[in-house]
Amino acid sequence: MSVRKFVAEKLLWETLKRWKKSSPELDRLTFLKTVPFFNELSNWQLHKVSGVVFDRTYEAGELIFEQGQPGAALFLITEGQVSVEIYKDHFTATLAVLEQGAFFGEMALLDESPRSASARSLGTTRTLALYRNDLTRLIHTDPETASHIFRALARIVGDRLRSTNELVQGANLDEKISA
Amino acid sequence: MKRRATLEEQEAERKVRRRIFKSGFWVLTLLAAVFLLWKLSSLLLPMVVGAFMAYLFRPLKDRFQIPWLHHELRVLTLFAVIGCALFMTGNTVRRHIPDEREKLELKVRIKYKMNEKFQELVGTNDKQKRGGVVAQVLIKELGPMMDKINKFIDLPPEEQELFMKYRTGHAGQPPIEDRFFDYFQANQTTSVYTVQDREPASVRPEHESMANVGQGANVAQSSHHEDFTIWIIAPLIFIFLGFDNGQIRRYIIGLVPNRYFELSLTVMDELDDAIGRYLRGTLMECALVGATLAIGFILVGIPVSIAIAIGVVSGLVNAIPFLGTVIGLIIGLAYALVAENVTPLIPGLNPNDLTVYVCILVFIAHMLDNAIYAPIVLGKAVNLHPLVVALAIVSGSLLGGAWGMLFAIPTVVVVKTAVETLFKELKDYRII
Repeated sequence: MSVRKFVAEKLLWETLKRWKKSSPELDRLTFLKTVPFFNELSNWQLHKVSGVVFDRTYEAGELIFEQGQPGAALFLITEGQVSVEIYKDHFTATLAVLEQGAFFGEMALLDESPRSASARSLGTTRTLALYRNDLTRLIHTDPETASHIFRALARIVGDRLRSTNELVQGANLDEKISA
Repeated sequence: MKRRATLEEQEAERKVRRRIFKSGFWVLTLLAAVFLLWKLSSLLLPMVVGAFMAYLFRPLKDRFQIPWLHHELRVLTLFAVIGCALFMTGNTVRRHIPDEREKLELKVRIKYKMNEKFQELVGTNDKQKRGGVVAQVLIKELGPMMDKINKFIDLPPEEQELFMKYRTGHAGQPPIEDRFFDYFQANQTTSVYTVQDREPASVRPEHESMANVGQGANVAQSSHHEDFTIWIIAPLIFIFLGFDNGQIRRYIIGLVPNRYFELSLTVMDELDDAIGRYLRGTLMECALVGATLAIGFILVGIPVSIAIAIGVVSGLVNAIPFLGTVIGLIIGLAYALVAENVTPLIPGLNPNDLTVYVCILVFIAHMLDNAIYAPIVLGKAVNLHPLVVALAIVSGSLLGGAWGMLFAIPTVVVVKTAVETLFKELKDYRII
């Protein structure tokens, strides 16, 4: 890290600590630091990301997004719970219940393909949303930050693919043993 | 059980109250917006111009990234750089703007040359041709227009006096050349092309007319002051929008219900992208047409400063479809008619055929624009039916004059793109 960047980061962080001890800005930065998506980012880069995310609050039972709709944003839960549901043949199955610090809808950052599941708020839930095109714009304005985020995204998608492969392989093995 | 039912009833009542409050709020907001728009309609144009400039400036701001510099300081630095560039350009332009003496010379020259060309056209300076049928028709049709132009560019007595002072050297300036003095004398004897069938309206007591002049000056001064007050809004809007770091967008998105959050982000973004592409494409197209004309005019022998000035104006008016080319041609021809001592840079060109070269140049620029510039820089940004374009320009001119004509097409593009994008996204999100 260059000296100028280091000084700027220190200045920003120290200023924020001094003047915005309980500000939403600092809360947001502190939260973003805990999210695996952004754990490679410096404070300055986190500040940039914080400038492009949207605060959204959902009431109990409210849909955050619906299965089949085009995806446009990644959501990070800052407070509350979200259930990820899948709807098929008039039946709804809950795949997972996510809590504070978790994120969902990350595939929307890569393309416009329809959402593979719905996300519903359980109780009042506060989220931060990162819009795909804002991240794309970051590639031009701050390629370093964007590359860190995309690398984290690739790692997460890779991990999920690996665990899915393991699941499929395990299921195949069980079938063979039972046969 | 009873308590729960009461709570549910209370919640239902609250919902109804909330709906009534929201509806009332939006109706009042709409009424207030309509009232303000009506009352402050004169502010609309400066606001649009300021926002438009900020919109064009935004990509530059986004590209100008200094990681260790705070956003506000970064924008201020960029403003300073642009301000310096504008100041230097302004200074260069000002040097080419004619001073008082040159203005007088130009007016005298324009009047002389214009009448000379007109008389050549109708044959009134050729005794053999005099009285021909074509000449009579031309005088009958174009005479009134020529009289009006002559009246408009004629030197009033005080300017004539000033001209005579400059003739012998005045205010440290060299004396006016003999040929301009000859033009001046010839202009004094320029005849009126139409028979005056009415008494001139200016036959009134001198003191009355002087009082009216004074009143006119006061009215003009107050009108200038009003214009300044209104137009000061444009740079302010430009500066404040320049400082915006996404706060306005965030605020608007914050007002959108959760159900439409992703939809509104997508619509805003696509709209922004389409309009930005169109506006920046049009600006680039205008710049290319202006540059083509300026280079062409320099090659046929028009002085560099005048060629650039005509190129800039023609490039700007090129933003008005159809009319842009015509206006460019008129400006070019107007100069070609009064130009003298022209030495073309391309060998073999006859300086006396400048008007023909101007017509050819404008035609070439128009063809290049249609065949190369517009398809490359605009691509398929927005396709408008020619009838829509024509109607938009006429409506724009009726509603807002020259500015209305200039902004008619961008407005139609904004509305068309907004409606198309909104319907597409509403369908994609299965809302309609």
